[in-house]
Amino acid sequence: MEMTGEQLIPVAQAAAWAALNDPEVLKDCVPGCESITRVSDNEYDVVMTAKVGPVSAKFKGKMTVTHSDPPRAYTLSFEGQGGVAGFAKGEANVALTPENGATRLAYSAKATVGGKLAQVGSRLIDGVARQLAEKFFDAFNRRVSGG
Amino acid sequence: MRAFDYHRPATLKEALSLLRKNQDARPLAGGQSLIPALKLRLAGPPALVDLGAIEELRGIRIDSGTLAIGALTRHSEVASSRDVAMSIPALARLADGIGDRQVRNLGTLGGALANNDPAADYPAAVLGLGATITTNKRAIAADKFFTGLYETALRPGEIITSVAFPLPKRAAYVKFRNPASRFAIVGVFVSEGAGTVRVAVTGAANCAFRARAMEKKLASGFTPEAIARIKVPPDGLNSDLHASAEYRAHLITVIAQRAVAAALAGK
Repeated sequence: MEMTGEQLIPVAQAAAWAALNDPEVLKDCVPGCESITRVSDNEYDVVMTAKVGPVSAKFKGKMTVTHSDPPRAYTLSFEGQGGVAGFAKGEANVALTPENGATRLAYSAKATVGGKLAQVGSRLIDGVARQLAEKFFDAFNRRVSGG
Repeated sequence: MRAFDYHRPATLKEALSLLRKNQDARPLAGGQSLIPALKLRLAGPPALVDLGAIEELRGIRIDSGTLAIGALTRHSEVASSRDVAMSIPALARLADGIGDRQVRNLGTLGGALANNDPAADYPAAVLGLGATITTNKRAIAADKFFTGLYETALRPGEIITSVAFPLPKRAAYVKFRNPASRFAIVGVFVSEGAGTVRVAVTGAANCAFRARAMEKKLASGFTPEAIARIKVPPDGLNSDLHASAEYRAHLITVIAQRAVAAALAGK
């Protein structure tokens, strides 16, 4: 699965960068995220429950920040195990550019899903990824603009 | 097997109280999506509240220009109903084309709508006829019901009780189906009613949607040719191993024209 997109974040670049690096903010904005715990400077443990229709799968995994270039860009790698449901892993490149006092966020993400989820849900994976991204940015924009 | 509690209440009131007491319990209608998910261990609710014994959720009747179908009515019952065949034959044919015989004998209208699979057939009919979905709490217009991938306007503890379909002058549903699952790769429901035309598309995006540009053209001339040049943009359409977004966009125009032709032919 590959996905690219752009979002206008209604705050300045430095504030957008800080929010994208704040585990509390990410926890509140990632749909179904139960916890994000910092284990080292650039590593986090993540627990999230993915609920899609009749399916509900809990993922435990790691998220690593690489190629960090504050406040312009970073790469997030993630890898999660959902027990019997399967696994998900991938990478997202995020770039921030100032735009009239706000920030243009561009992302490109690649993900692989395996196991039972992929077997029975292959027709849904793109849609799920799109919906997760939409919900994340809705929540993120509300959060950073203080709404 | 993972252990869970199983309840089979005889009344809606009892079912609602069970669901209120256990927030993680899942209501079970025909079980054609939920049971496979349980079998695959892709879901593990602590309790199931089976709605199958609730008589008040069943039945088909025509009153004052609408066809009302109880939420727990099975696809096979809709497919073989005289009342449906007389009032909205396109709906009977749609029900007869859902999944396979086993799915049709157990799957229900309310279950299909609450689940809102992106490729399910019923959402196209509900949206394409401008039906009204009634729950234990309120009536929801079709246009407000389908909100996203497997997401609907239903709130926790809310159960669909029936669906009221206004009777159209003519209607048809055509689907380009996946030969294995029989899910719609693209399905289009068209209807022409009292001064309104509706075109609803399923299988192509996160959930069923109306092709309003086609509706506008068809309102001033209900012919397949009227929409031959209308393309739904591929952005946001599904892309999977069965069909790319561009192919689905192309199919929508082709299938919509076939649906209009079928409606005109009364098939």
